[in-house]
Parts: sequence; structure tokens; C-alpha cells
Amino acid sequence: MLTTEERQRNPILKKLHLDGPLLLGLLALAVTSLFVVYSASGESEALVWRQAIRVSAAFVGLFIIAQFPPRFFERFSPILFGFGLLLLVAVLLFGEVGKGAQRWLDIGPVTIQPSEIMKLAVPMMIAWYVNRRAIPIRLGRLVIALTLVLIPVLLIAKQPDLGTSLLVASAGIFVIFLAGLSWRLITVAVALVAAFTPILWMYLMHDYQRQRVLTFLNPERDPLGSGYHIIQSKIAIGSGGIDGKGWLQGTQSQLEFLPERHTDFIFSVFSEEFGLIGVTLLLALYGFVILRGLIISLRAQDIFSKLLGGALTLTFFVYVFVNIGMVSGLLPVVGVPLPLISYGGTSMVTILAGFGILMSIATHHRLIINQ
Amino acid sequence: MTPRRKPAVKRNRKNTKPVGTQWRFYVAVGVLFSVFSVLIARAAYIQVISPERYSMQGDMRSLRSASLSVQRGMIVDRNGRELAVSVPVETVWADPQRIAEHNALADTSRWQALAETFRMNRDELIGKVSDPERRFVYLQRKVTPSEAEYVRDLNIPGVYLKTESRRYYPTGEISAHLLGITNIDGQGQEGLELLYDEHLTGTPGKRVYRKDAQGRVIEEISQTEAQQPKQLTLSIDQRIQATAYTELKKAVRYNQATSGSAVVIDVDTGEILAMVNSPSFNPNNRADLQSFKMRNRVITDSYEPGSTVKPLVVLSALENGLYKAGDSIDTSPGWLRIGGRRVSDPRNYGELSLGGILEHSSNVGVTNIALELGVDKLLQTYFDVGFGNDTGVSLLGESMGLFGNRRRWSDFELATLSYGYGLSTTTLQLARAYTTIASGGMLRPLTIFRQESPLPAEQVFSPDNTRAVLRMMERVVSDGTAKEAKVPGYRIAGKTGTTRKIRAAGGYGDEYVALFAGVAPASNPEVVVVVTINEPGTDDYYGGTAAAPVFSEIVGQTMRLLNVPPDNLHNEPMKAASMGGSAP
Repeated sequence: MLTTEERQRNPILKKLHLDGPLLLGLLALAVTSLFVVYSASGESEALVWRQAIRVSAAFVGLFIIAQFPPRFFERFSPILFGFGLLLLVAVLLFGEVGKGAQRWLDIGPVTIQPSEIMKLAVPMMIAWYVNRRAIPIRLGRLVIALTLVLIPVLLIAKQPDLGTSLLVASAGIFVIFLAGLSWRLITVAVALVAAFTPILWMYLMHDYQRQRVLTFLNPERDPLGSGYHIIQSKIAIGSGGIDGKGWLQGTQSQLEFLPERHTDFIFSVFSEEFGLIGVTLLLALYGFVILRGLIISLRAQDIFSKLLGGALTLTFFVYVFVNIGMVSGLLPVVGVPLPLISYGGTSMVTILAGFGILMSIATHHRLIINQ
Repeated sequence: MTPRRKPAVKRNRKNTKPVGTQWRFYVAVGVLFSVFSVLIARAAYIQVISPERYSMQGDMRSLRSASLSVQRGMIVDRNGRELAVSVPVETVWADPQRIAEHNALADTSRWQALAETFRMNRDELIGKVSDPERRFVYLQRKVTPSEAEYVRDLNIPGVYLKTESRRYYPTGEISAHLLGITNIDGQGQEGLELLYDEHLTGTPGKRVYRKDAQGRVIEEISQTEAQQPKQLTLSIDQRIQATAYTELKKAVRYNQATSGSAVVIDVDTGEILAMVNSPSFNPNNRADLQSFKMRNRVITDSYEPGSTVKPLVVLSALENGLYKAGDSIDTSPGWLRIGGRRVSDPRNYGELSLGGILEHSSNVGVTNIALELGVDKLLQTYFDVGFGNDTGVSLLGESMGLFGNRRRWSDFELATLSYGYGLSTTTLQLARAYTTIASGGMLRPLTIFRQESPLPAEQVFSPDNTRAVLRMMERVVSDGTAKEAKVPGYRIAGKTGTTRKIRAAGGYGDEYVALFAGVAPASNPEVVVVVTINEPGTDDYYGGTAAAPVFSEIVGQTMRLLNVPPDNLHNEPMKAASMGGSAP
């Protein structure tokens, strides 16, 4: 019923294959981003312009993607996944090294980050794979699905990029979860993860990652070294109080006490300047976008769309949770930006591309039926 | 949104009912809400529950303040004579890190010379500066100019001089109790130095600014101009103060007394012209500091005032219309029995006028008046002169004495009240009471600061009655118990008091307090002087013999210093001249 009303209300948006509420939420976040980046970058107009151009480009990307029907993505999934996997291997072999990690691939004029592609390719691939047979998923197929998730995750973790591998893993696992995993299997999985943790700690984690976990457990352990980020971040958030210090008035962030303040730690800047009220509003905005994504996924009329839409939305939620949890000292520091707010083009493009798929899911099925 | 609608979608290739999917979305939504609640709760915890910690830490990381101190203000007397001044002196300090850098310790001969300058052991001196982690060590504070010059000539790397200020008290022990002292860092520790520390220190200029992580100053938050330290102008007249101290010290020694206090009040303004105690201490010599010497007994020690309150009993009788100035009372047979206790005079004085009662200090006389007055009226009169209250000087450690702290008074207790037992007053409170009589019944707060105009006062007695009482008190000096209080050329009104001291164990012992409180000149009162001699060690422990002579000397000098015209030249010019000649 609602869909009918919406269609009548927004015939133009419908024609453009855009979902009104979702678009509104995303635009609100993007505009907020420009203001916060301006403040966090020390009032650098150049940076804001660059961000504005990226946001616009990403929205154009969203618009283009939204024009394709979900079926196209379904067919395209294995190709994209295979392509992404190839690139990941390529990165491992001849990638650019930056900040102690090998993440970028230089292809002529552009550099690309294959791990970003995997944020979309993995949930698509798993949704495609799961959807080939009846759900709920059986054990044998589950193992294959998990393997499909694990291969890119491990390749990304090897770069090393813990944040992205975490997001990619959660995207894949969300698909499996939504596809109907029996509780027994979930229990077994949790047990496996618990068993895997020590192995991860001992053999797979890099020193700097262990350092981050230790610092997370006790930031005051090393206030000038690895605990510095989190302590400064908490101080900035705490300085905000209920109503904040006002836009451009945050002392901790403006005075460069806060590291990475226009990228990963932008939430601290936001909190200091807009206070608890601002934080609540921002989370409400995120909540709105996520809820809308889930509603779209629920209304999707094929399993593939439903699983992919749900997984993409939930991954977006993980983004928010991990980033805010990290800067407020609830989670260890992993390099996850605050989606759509942090400065930076790559994640912005990926996230909006994901929402492009959601818009496609939201707007195409009716059209197909009506046709 | 219900599963029932799903079959409508025929395009679903597998056409499978997504059995599990539906509620899994709800689980997801539930998790989402709880996680967002956790995030908001976390932000609320950091921002609202414990924000002080973080905002304080934020300020700690960015706020800085710098201060510039100033020299301590002077304390001067009413005529601008310096009582406490600050003089610049030099202090020798060392930077052990710099010393280590220059390997300055190797030059032992210069360290030997430095140690000898400070009369220190060389090893001890070197021990002070041997930790290269430290950046500041005092070697010797406040050295003499010649020592400073010598240190400068030695020119040891890492040994420096800096200017500090040293407090100096030109009047030494004379005003020591009142002024108090400062510590080596120039902060007030006692007396006015402590009480008005802020006033004397001034407010050092303060600049608060914010700096960023690179140390650049990026915001001036506030700038307080340095408040120049103010000087304190006391009501003390240093000349009178010095006289009072000299005479008091002499008397305390002569009477082998434990201690003594004297205070001189300007009747018209309530200003304290002198406030001295003996024993005293030398504020310029820190080795001399002992607490029993440092007490400003004028305000801290209270005694039973004894017979000095008798003029107040007579005044109360006049005020309440019980008697007229000329009335007389029969005190025979020289004693009274009240509730099984005896009140007695030294001998039977028979019929006494009110003035006669004061002249002979008749306990029986004042007891009779007090019994007729009743306790309420008597206590009201005591209260009206300021007993049991602060005197208004608000100095540190001022005692208010004990007064009227019981609900029922027996007749005997009332009788003792009338001759000054059962209550206690400080020397200053007694002086204020006499100032009230001398000023024609004006109760005025006392002050230690010079006043441009008299402080506001309250009329508590009629001028006629106080004048009558003053006239009666003149007889005490001219014919009565205090002939030694006479001052040549001036009419003096006053009253002696000799009280037994309560022993620590309880009851009255063999120690006495000799008191004399008086007004001069009686015809037109200018000053009130109260002298307290505590525990005289000789047989002449009476107010009239131990305290009255001190009063006489102080008043005589004060009259001369203040250019008060004599009012008693016509009656006894020859006697005045002869006494002046025979004065010691």
C-alpha cells in the first residue's frame, strides 16, 4: 500500500529509480559532512571543494547504478567477484605501499583500492551463491559460502587492512545470516570464532594490530604513544558537553590535538562542536537511513535482492557502529571511517554505490511487474 | 510487508517462501536499536556524566597562564612612617643541569670559595647541585649585597642570582604583634601581614591564553592588569606606640609580671593609636619567634575586668533613673551577706556618694546598686558598651570574652557581676567600654586603620550621665585608689581593677591581673588608655600601683605628642610643675 502511495506521490523519483526518503537521508549526511570537514580541516576551503566534488561524483555513480535492475547485479556478481579477487592478488604482488600497508593499485591515470570493490562484490557473490538453491542454507553449501567470504577477507587482512577486512567479512556473513542459518550453526560458528581468536592473536595479527587491541583495553597505558589517539578523542568528545561548543569552536580539534580529525576521528570533532544533542541527531539520521534500507530490503521481491539489500544496509550499520565505537573508546582502533561524513573519496563511492543498488531494489520490481 | 503478500511476486525464480528471512530482519532492527542506544549512552557518559574530567583535561592541554608578580606593599602608620617595608635582596640559585653541562664541578676552588661565603661545607653544597636532572636549586636565599657581589665575581657556570624582596620591620618589636610577619617567600603568616595579605600582595598580572598542539598561541582568553600592591595606612601613631611599648616593657619587668598589654584609643574616631604587648619579639630575626611572645594579647587574652566595671554599674543606675548624680548609699557595716556568701569592703566606708563608691571602689556600694537594678538592666548596660561582642577591628584571633552565658543569676552572682567577676573581657573590649563613656555615650566600632571621618556610632547613654560618671571617676585619680595615674596638667578620669585569676584547676589562685582604664583629659576627652599587667610578681599587684603608673606615663607623652591643651593648670600649677620635675 505504502509503495503505491509513494509511487503516486513521487512519479518523477520513481522514473529516475530513486527512493525519496533514502535519498533525502543520504543527502542530509553528505551536507553535514561538508560542514564538519570544513571545521575539522582547519577551515580549508580547498578540502571542502574536493570533498564536494567527490560527493557529487559518488551521487552520480549512485544514480547510474540505480538505473540497472537487480537482476543485472545478480548476473554480474560472479564476474565482479572474480575480477575483485584478481585485483586483490595483484595488489599483493605489485601494490603501492602507503602508511605501512599495501592497498593501492596504480592503473595508469587512476589508483584503485580493490578491497573497496570487495565490500560490494562479496555480499553480491554470496547472495548469488545462496540464491541458487533453496534457503535456508545447508551445511555443505554453508562451508563453501564461508570460504568465498574468507578468501578475500584474508587477502585484505594480509595487506594489512583490518578495518576493511572486517567490513567485508561482516557483509558476507550478514548475507548468510539473513539467508537463514539455523541457530545450531550459529552457535557452532561462534564457538569456532572463539577458538580462532587466539590463533588470530598469535599468528595472523600484526604487531601494530595487537598494539591497538592492548591500547583499546587500556588507553592510559601509553598516553603519548598508542593511547594518544583514543585519549585525545575522548577528551574532545567530553569537551562538547550537552550542547557542544559550536561549529568551528571546538578547541581540541581546531588546535590539532586530535589526530586524523577529518578522516577516521571526525566524529570527535562533530561531538565536541555539536555536543550530545548533535550526536543524537546524527545517530537518528543514520538510524533513519538504515531503517529505510531494511524496509526496502524487506519489500524486495526476490531473495537475491532481499539478501543483498539487507547485507549492504547492515554493513553500513557496522561502519557507523565500529567508527563511533572506536572513537568513543568502546572498540579498538581499526581504520574505519565514519560513513558519508569522513573526508575521503573511496569509501564514499563504495557506500553510495551500495545505496545505488538499494535504490535499484526499491524501484525496479514494481516497474517490472507493471510492465 | 506481511508474508501473505509475497506469493504475489511470481518473478521470484525459486518461488521459495523466505521463512527465516522475515524475522531475521526484525532481529537486525532490534540489534540496530540497542547498538545505537549503546552509542548514545556512551556519548552521554563521556559528555554529560563525566564531562568535567574531559573538559578539564582539554583545558589542561591547551590553556596556559602566565603571571608577573609585584613587590609587597608597605604598612605605614597614620603619619606615613614605615612600619613594614620590602627591600630588594638577591638570592643565589643553581641550575644543576647547566652545571653538569659545563662540567663546572671540576673547578673545586671556586666551589670552596662559594661554600665559605655561605659558611657551608663544600661537600654539602656540591651535594645540593649534583643531580643533573634538576633545573633549580636554592643555594642561599637573601644574601647580603657584598656576598651577592662576590658570587657574581666567582662567575661559576650554572650559578645565578635573582632578585627577591625581603620584608623589613623598622620598628622591630614595638609593633610586631600587630603587624605580624611574612615567611621567606613573602607571604603573610601572622597579624596584619596575614589578614591583609591579598591587599598587600596586589594581584599579579595574569594572562590566560590558549595554545595549540604546536605551542602556538592562538587565543588570548583574558588578561588581568597587575593590581599594584596597596599600602596599609594604620591608625597607629608610631610615636605613641613606641612610648606605650617602652613604658609597658619597663613596667612588666619592674613588676616581674608574666606579660602586659596597653592600648590607646582616639575617643572621637574610635581609631586605635597604639596597641602594644610585652613580651614581644623581633620580627626581623626569625630565630626569635616563640608563640608566647607572638600573641597579640590586647585582643586574644581575656580577663575578668574586676573593679574597672564599677563605673558602668553607676552609669546604669543613672541611666535607669535609680539614682541621681548626688545621691549616696549607706555601705555600713562594710559587708553584706548574700545567700550565705560574703561581699565585703576593706573597711567600713559608711555613707558613700556614688562618686565615693568609685573613689573607694566599694564592693558593697555597687552590690547594693546592682541588687536594686536587677540582672537584666545591668547586663544590658554591659552589652551596650560592647562586652561579649567583637570590637570592630576584626583582627586575627580576637576573643570576644565571656558574657551573660547563663539563664538564671543568683543574687550573689549578680553582686559579683557588679564588681567585675563572672564575665571576662579583653583589654580592647574594656577600652571600647571606656571610650563609650568618654565620648558621651556613643558606642563606636574600633578600627586599626586611619579614618578620614569617624565611624558611625550608636548613642547608647545620655551625655549628661556619662559626663557625671566621668566626674566621679576623676575622684578615683585625684583622691582614690589611683593617685599614681595622675598626669601633670591634665584632669584624669579612670578606674583601677585588681582581679584574682582563675586557676586552670578551678577556683581563684594567688595570681592577679592589675588593670587601669582611664580617660584624658577628663574635661574634654581625647584618648582612652587601658593598661593590663598580667600576674605581677611583687606584692604591689594592685591596679593602682602596677598599672596606673604606666597609664600616667603613656597619657603624659600622648598629651604632649597630640598637642592637647592642659585643662588642669589653674588648680594645681605648682604641684604639676614639681611632679614634672620629679618624674623619673
